[in-house]
Amino acid sequence: MEITTILASAGVLEGLKETGATIKEQFGLQGQLFFSQSIGFLIFAGVLYKFAFGPIQGMLEQRKGRIAEGEANLIKIQKQLADSEKNTAEAIAKANEEAQRLVNEAKESAAILSERKAQEAIASAQQILAKAEAAAKAERDLIKSELKREFGRLVTATTAQVTGKVLNTEDQKRINDEALTKVEA
Amino acid sequence: MRFLALTSTTWLAASLASNASEAAGHHGLPMNAPVVFDLGWFKVTNSMIAMWLVAAVVILIAQLSVRKISLVPTGLQNLVEFVVESLQDFLAGILGEDLAKRTFWFFGSVFLFILTMNWMGLLPGVGTIGWHTTDSHGHEGWLPLIRGANADLNMTLGLACIFFVLWLAWSIKSNGVGGFLSHIFLYQGEGKGPMKLLLLVIFFLVGFLEVISIMIRPVSLTFRLFGNVYAGESLLEMMVNMGGKFGWLTALPFYFLELMVGAIQALVFMLLTAVFTALMCKHDEEHAH
Repeated sequence: MEITTILASAGVLEGLKETGATIKEQFGLQGQLFFSQSIGFLIFAGVLYKFAFGPIQGMLEQRKGRIAEGEANLIKIQKQLADSEKNTAEAIAKANEEAQRLVNEAKESAAILSERKAQEAIASAQQILAKAEAAAKAERDLIKSELKREFGRLVTATTAQVTGKVLNTEDQKRINDEALTKVEA
Repeated sequence: MRFLALTSTTWLAASLASNASEAAGHHGLPMNAPVVFDLGWFKVTNSMIAMWLVAAVVILIAQLSVRKISLVPTGLQNLVEFVVESLQDFLAGILGEDLAKRTFWFFGSVFLFILTMNWMGLLPGVGTIGWHTTDSHGHEGWLPLIRGANADLNMTLGLACIFFVLWLAWSIKSNGVGGFLSHIFLYQGEGKGPMKLLLLVIFFLVGFLEVISIMIRPVSLTFRLFGNVYAGESLLEMMVNMGGKFGWLTALPFYFLELMVGAIQALVFMLLTAVFTALMCKHDEEHAH
C-alpha cells in the first residue's frame, strides 16, 4: 500500500489540505504576490550587489592589497635599511682602517723624511762649518803672512834705523827670521 | 546627546502615529496585506509598495555612497563601507573568509532589507496614511497605503524560499550531489565491526529526520520573522488605541522595544541562514584550504 493511500485513508491529507487552505486564506498567501515579492527582493539584492557591495568589496580588497603591499614594502625597506646600515658600518670601519693605515704610513714617511732632512741639515751645517773654518784658516794664514811681512819690514826698518846702515837682502832675511823665531817662541 | 535625539525622534514618531491612527479610526491589523491596486493579472499590495520604497531608499544611499568612490573613504562612503565591512567580517566568522565573500550578496542584502523594512515600519505614516473603504456588504474599513513588508507572509516566505534554493545550490556546489546526500545520511566517523554497522543504520535513519528538519527550516524562518514583525505592529497599534489621547505616550516604550526587535530579527534571520549554510558548506571549504 502506498504511503499516500495510507495518509488519505487516515484523513491526514485532507487535514493538511484544509490547514493549508486556512493558512493561505488567513495570511493572504497568493502565488502572484509571493513571486512578485521574491523577484522584487532578488532585483533589490542584484542592484545592491551591482551598485554597492561589488564596488565596496572591490575597494576593500584594493585597500587590503595596498596595505599588504605597504607592509611588504615596509619590511623590504627595513631590510634595505638594515643592509644599508650594515654596509655603511662596514664602509666606515674599512675607511677608518684605511685612514689609520694612511696615518701610520704618513707618520712613518714623515719620520723618515724628518730624519733625512735632519741628516741633510747636519751635513749641510757641517759643510758650512768646514767651509767657514777653512775660510777662517785661510784668512788667518793670510793675515799671519801679512803680519809676518809687516813685522819683518818693521824689524828691518827699525834695525836699519838703529844701526844706521843699509841692510842687504840677506841681512834683512836673517834678521826677520830671528825676530819671527823669537816672537813665535 | 545621541540618546536625546533618538528619544525625541521616537516620541515624535509615536505622537504622529497615534494622532494619525485616531484620525483614521481603525482597529486591528489584518494578517494579510491588502491589495492597493489591482491590474487584473498583477496585484499590488501595500507591503509591496513598502518593499519598493525601502529598496529605492537603500539603493539610492548605496549609489550615492559609491558615486565618487575613492581609496580614502569620506562621508557616506565611510559609513556604507563600515556597514559592509562589519557585516562581512561577522559573516566570515561563521562561514569562513571565502564562502562569506561569495555569499555576501545574499546575506548582506537580506540583513539590510529586513532591518530597513522593520525600522521603516516604525516611521509615522506607515499604516496610518491611507483611505476609508466600504466593501460589498457595506462594511467600512481602512486601507493603509504602506505596511511593513515583513508583516506580509508572502514576503517572509519569499525570503525563506530564496534562501532554501540558494542553500541547496551552495551545498551541492560545495559537496556535489553524492557529498550532499552522504553529509545527511552517512556516518562519517571512525569505528569498526558491529558498532560501525549500528552507527551506519542509526545515521541513515537520522538522515530522514534531518531531511524533515531541513524542510521545516523555511517554514520556521518565514513564521518567525512574520510573527515578530506582525506582533510588533499589532502591539504598537494596540498601545496607541489603548492610550486614547495619550496613545503616543503608552506606545512610546514599545517603539524602543520595536527598534530593538527590528534589529534582532534581521540579525536572527541572517545568522540562522548563515549557520545553516555553514553547517553544509564550511566543512568543504576548510578542507579546500
